[in-house]
Amino acid sequence: MSDANQPLLRVEDLVVRFPIAGRQYIRPVDGVSFAIAPGEVLSLVGESGSGKSTIGKALVRMVEPAGGTIEVNGQDVTHIRGRRIKDYRENVQMVFQDPFGSLNPVRTVEQHLAFPLRKHRMDKTVNVNAKIDELLEKVGLTPVADTRQKFPHELSGGQRQRVAIARALAVNPKFVVADEPISMLDVSIRAGILKLMNDLRADMNLAFLYITHDLASARYIGNRIMVLYGGKVMETAPSDELLRHPSHPYTRLLLAATPGSRHQGDLPETSNTAPNLVEGRRGCPFASRCPLVTSECHEVEPALTTLGDNHSVACHHPA
Amino acid sequence: MVTDPNNPVLQIEDLSVAYVTNDGFVNAVNDINLTLYPGEIVGLVGESGSGKSTMANAIMRLLKGDAIVTKGRVKILGRDVYEMSEKQLRQFRWSKMSMVFQSAMSALNPVMTVETQILDTLTSHDKSMTKAQALERAKELMNLVRIDTKHLKSYPHELSGGMRQRVVIAIAIALNPSFVIMDEPTTALDVVVQRSILNEIRRIQEKVGFAILFVSHDFSLVAELASRVAIMYAGRVVEMTPSNTLSLMASEKHHPYTIGLLEAIPELTADEVIITGIPGNPPNLRTLPSGCAFHPRCPFAEEICTKERPVAVTVGPSDIECHLYSGKGMKQHV
Ligand SMILES: Nc1ncnc2c1ncn2[C@@H]1O[C@H](COP(=O)(O)OP(=O)(O)O)[C@@H](O)[C@H]1O
Ligand SMILES: Nc1ncnc2c1ncn2[C@@H]1O[C@H](COP(=O)(O)OP(=O)(O)O)[C@@H](O)[C@H]1O
Ligand SMILES: [Mg+2]
Ligand SMILES: [Mg+2]
Repeated sequence: MSDANQPLLRVEDLVVRFPIAGRQYIRPVDGVSFAIAPGEVLSLVGESGSGKSTIGKALVRMVEPAGGTIEVNGQDVTHIRGRRIKDYRENVQMVFQDPFGSLNPVRTVEQHLAFPLRKHRMDKTVNVNAKIDELLEKVGLTPVADTRQKFPHELSGGQRQRVAIARALAVNPKFVVADEPISMLDVSIRAGILKLMNDLRADMNLAFLYITHDLASARYIGNRIMVLYGGKVMETAPSDELLRHPSHPYTRLLLAATPGSRHQGDLPETSNTAPNLVEGRRGCPFASRCPLVTSECHEVEPALTTLGDNHSVACHHPA
Repeated sequence: MVTDPNNPVLQIEDLSVAYVTNDGFVNAVNDINLTLYPGEIVGLVGESGSGKSTMANAIMRLLKGDAIVTKGRVKILGRDVYEMSEKQLRQFRWSKMSMVFQSAMSALNPVMTVETQILDTLTSHDKSMTKAQALERAKELMNLVRIDTKHLKSYPHELSGGMRQRVVIAIAIALNPSFVIMDEPTTALDVVVQRSILNEIRRIQEKVGFAILFVSHDFSLVAELASRVAIMYAGRVVEMTPSNTLSLMASEKHHPYTIGLLEAIPELTADEVIITGIPGNPPNLRTLPSGCAFHPRCPFAEEICTKERPVAVTVGPSDIECHLYSGKGMKQHV
């Protein structure tokens, strides 16, 4: 079933809900749809609390969606359980923001990699030792013999994040969710991780969902950018197109606020209230901050509409 | 606040600070010289662990028990901070120099309202101030940082992260200091909130005129806010440069570390984005590399760099500590 035009991953109308006080629910992800092709990087951008990590967790099925579908290679994985989740994780992996928290302090680098290699090994003749060397080589943790015996606390933040990436690669995935993988790293180290992801995409045809709050890195690594606000997609377009012709008022606000944008003066927003995530909300989640707001925006949720050239926006008053 | 534009608000001379630990000394700040003039915004950029906060705390004489100033002096408005008595220091701190810390939550008292905290700051330094005058000033400050005065009655947890940081800024400038250190005041905030607070800082600074030492690890952000930028590596200021030189488009010469940082961040608006990054990792301050501390990561390193620490030389508009410019290296002026 590997038709060249077939996306690797197809997400349709995804909904995640969490219970809150008073028998109510919030929907940090509400009706999100997108597709990712093999070897493609989709950058997911939005402020904290916009639902980025929850989408990532739903994709690797650490969270079960309340609605919608997630298809990988044409296979519906929205509600799979048990043994099928294990099989599924051979195709998708997640790398987290905090490289320290995601590694076990009492295990060596070698042990971190041997475990998934043994657990997911299809072919029992594969030499785990040789495979560990190959993975460490691939993520640039050389000299390999030294690195193998190290514990997480003996590594720098960037090296730890490389171990986390190597561990994700151990199961030979087609798709990796990278959730703010550089935001806790030093500036001089970030470029190396971004470049590593770029190389893996090129060499292994690996696809990524790259989660970030930084438009500059989103554009650098992503073929496309999807802007999220209050659990909904505000705008999506090829990266350069999104930065050159931002259409949604929230995208324009984000862009103006990003260092290097050369924006002068006050920001195009009317307040900085957080979006309402409670189930049953109406209208556009950005309405309370939007300089272009009209009464329609409070009442009717704008649908994601195509502007052409793979560029879509959910706004009653697009630029 | 009358300050002579030619008299520096801050003079740091040969300052060194070390942490005394069970495993020996951590040399967090090493022979730093830095001067700030009235009304100036100077950026201090460096990776985490490069000694920025240690230097900021040393200026405020707020170093914790295990840190000692091993060398040098800090003068604010011409007065040596380390020669003041405790009483003089208490009078001086917050009224002449103040500081905004990264974590607004830890800078604020969780069980006191915003009003109580601002009034405390005002009245503890100016005993002649009446309650009514203090309240008037508190409202003025809230307006200055653009928070509705109704939030004077709020507790810190009732405010958003951005509003809390604005309150902290209001308290820091309450007594009209000549000089404010801001230590990563927006690092924990979302970019939109970060930018609106930076706009606020710039606006207030233009209006009130204090000088700011703005500490951050975010290169592009500092370049936009400050007029001059000090680049810190392993406890030293390796370059001091006007902020308009900090672009790949600019033609000025830089320290190789500065060049590395410029090439490490994807530019938002460039047509083509190429990033390279810097090989290796920031050094351990317990065991600093010999000579120039950057030499193990430097693409231009040569023998002299492993042996002799370069002193700052003036290169165009910048002061740079590097053997490419010291006249002692074989390679010259990249
Ligand atoms: N397990 C959970 N239970 C309840 N609420 C949650 C849970 N996980 C996330 N949330 C809420 O969902 C919203 C989106 O969170 P998240 O996906 O982590 O956002 P982001 O990654 O964009 O910062 C937030 O308001 C968060 O508090
Ligand atoms: N209390 C302490 N004891 C020992 N070392 C410390 C202490 N505080 C900071 N350091 C060390 O001093 C160096 C500089 O730290 P800091 O000034 O906080 O850097 P920055 O603010 O640039 O991140 C770091 O290597 C750090 O580990
Ligand atoms: Mg997140
Ligand atoms: Mg610090």
